Amino acid sequence: MSIEAKKIGKTVGDPAVRILTDISLNIDDGDFVSLTGKSGSGKSTLLYILSSLDSPSDGQVFIEQLDLHKMDPVDLYKFRNQKMGFVFQFNYLIAELTALENVLMPTLKIYKKNEINPYAESLLEKFGLKDRVHRFPRQLSGGEQQRVAIARALVMQPKYLFADEPTGSLDSVNGGVVMEILRNVNREQRTTIILVTHDQDFASYANKNIRLVDGKIE
Amino acid sequence: MIFLAMRYLLERRKQTIFTLLGVFLGTVAYVGVSGFFKGFQDYMVQQLVDNTAQIHIQARQDILNDHKLDGAFFTQNTAHVFWISPPSGLLGFHEVQNPQSWYERLSADKRVEAFSPLISTPVLITLAKNSVSATLTGCNPLQQSKVTSIAKYMIEGQFSDIAGGGNRIIMGDELMKRIGAAKDQIVFVSVGTRNAIPMKVVGRFISGNRGADLQAYAALNDVQRLNGTPNRVNEIAVRLKDYTLASAMAENWSLVSPEKIESWDQQNVNILSVIKMQTTLRFTMIIAILLVAGFGIYNVLNMTVTQKRQDIAILRSMGYDSFDIVTLFFSQGMIVGLVGAIFGLICGYLLCLYLQTISFFPANSSHAGETLHISLDMTIYLQATLLALLASSVASILPARAAEKLTPIEIIRTGA
Repeated sequence: MSIEAKKIGKTVGDPAVRILTDISLNIDDGDFVSLTGKSGSGKSTLLYILSSLDSPSDGQVFIEQLDLHKMDPVDLYKFRNQKMGFVFQFNYLIAELTALENVLMPTLKIYKKNEINPYAESLLEKFGLKDRVHRFPRQLSGGEQQRVAIARALVMQPKYLFADEPTGSLDSVNGGVVMEILRNVNREQRTTIILVTHDQDFASYANKNIRLVDGKIE
Repeated sequence: MIFLAMRYLLERRKQTIFTLLGVFLGTVAYVGVSGFFKGFQDYMVQQLVDNTAQIHIQARQDILNDHKLDGAFFTQNTAHVFWISPPSGLLGFHEVQNPQSWYERLSADKRVEAFSPLISTPVLITLAKNSVSATLTGCNPLQQSKVTSIAKYMIEGQFSDIAGGGNRIIMGDELMKRIGAAKDQIVFVSVGTRNAIPMKVVGRFISGNRGADLQAYAALNDVQRLNGTPNRVNEIAVRLKDYTLASAMAENWSLVSPEKIESWDQQNVNILSVIKMQTTLRFTMIIAILLVAGFGIYNVLNMTVTQKRQDIAILRSMGYDSFDIVTLFFSQGMIVGLVGAIFGLICGYLLCLYLQTISFFPANSSHAGETLHISLDMTIYLQATLLALLASSVASILPARAAEKLTPIEIIRTGA
């Protein structure tokens, strides 16, 4: 079992609003899990808590038997850098860097510049961006930008990939391309993927589905 | 992170150049203004140090007042004499007591470069129907040349021409003009009610100081004879190897001597306090300029942090920690500060070189042909660099710390 959540709860604001209540789940290595639910059901909050970007009000999250929210910050950042990848609804590419440089950003934490270029270039080539390597984000289409963002999330060959509505800003064709990429990554590299989506068609790419209703697992 | 910081700066060229310009101008101003003021101050100090002795050993003469004589009447410190008609006048000697022991002490002191026994007396100089009062200083010209710059100011004759006596006199330019004398003429010099003696004008000097140019010099023995005080001196002028020791040495010597001993800086307290005020003013002005430059960096970086919230969020999710985020923004400020400072130092240096070519002294001055004295002291350049970097670092650290505090979830949730 690679990710285990125990009685996760999340309250925000003043007066307090309960977003998640008593969530417990287990995700195995290599699982492709979709988190679905209506807007405001707490699926993104759960994803961020499972990925360490947010902390729970109650409960614990264990990844590889490590209590994620009690880890030393230095270890947590190292863990995040080496074992986690993130794809968001918006690509968050750094405008001042080319596609290749964006993809290489996570590697610069431990590798020297250019040390891992061939792998980053091969990822971009695999995602159909061979001739876009040295282009800046503003010179790419929305679909291309999102594929660069996925390549960036995968460049460290993470064990876990967290995707929050990665197709949310794309049309159905580009959305399908992105989902195909994620499915291939899951199959070929055995990467554990947790995907938040409100689209049932895209949710069907996953081999497990968790549906949230009002902050609880249905 | 430095790589990304550089990219941020290069992509926002206008902002970067504007910010850089603030530091650049601040540094140029610091180097230029400091070079000008310090050059002027160094010149002033050099003039003070060179034109007169660095330590003056003089006969002590205190002003007599109504309590000065209390000790002669009472042994108790608390007892006082109350005078119906209080005494007045000067108390002390007109000459240095036992000058021979001073010569021995000064000759043995390795800190002393040279010394010159002097006798100064007010005289009346007459040529035809013109009479002008002046101060005549008797000295050994060879010794005096080692103690002050007087020999350098000679525009007619040599200072050594008065050596060996023979009733020869050298006069300042202002004094010669007042009396209407020229070189090789005979003037009559008298002290008090004594008979005037003829002296031949053998030289003229211009020091640039009107007061000093109203003085005259003659051989020590000539003036002693004229004054009726053979073998007596009323001052010993001392030059040191290191003039900065003057004040401390004068104080030490005062403890063991009945003479009045003053250093050059004690005699010129007013001028030195003006110099100090100038220095304070210079620092205040420059700090104000650099504060403005610092505000420029602060504003631009603050704006950058706001604009780059998404980048901060994604960098955090990639595993970049607080230190990396601080480095990303802090280094931008420091790069701007460093580059601005380097260009500022170069242009400031060129500005100083140009200022050094500007002529300043009037044509009739002994300094004619000399140009502005601009200091190229390394400490100015070091201070400018440190101040530019200090202003940059203070201005950068606040936005960098603000960026560090942003959590990725806040940014992602707000979509900003």
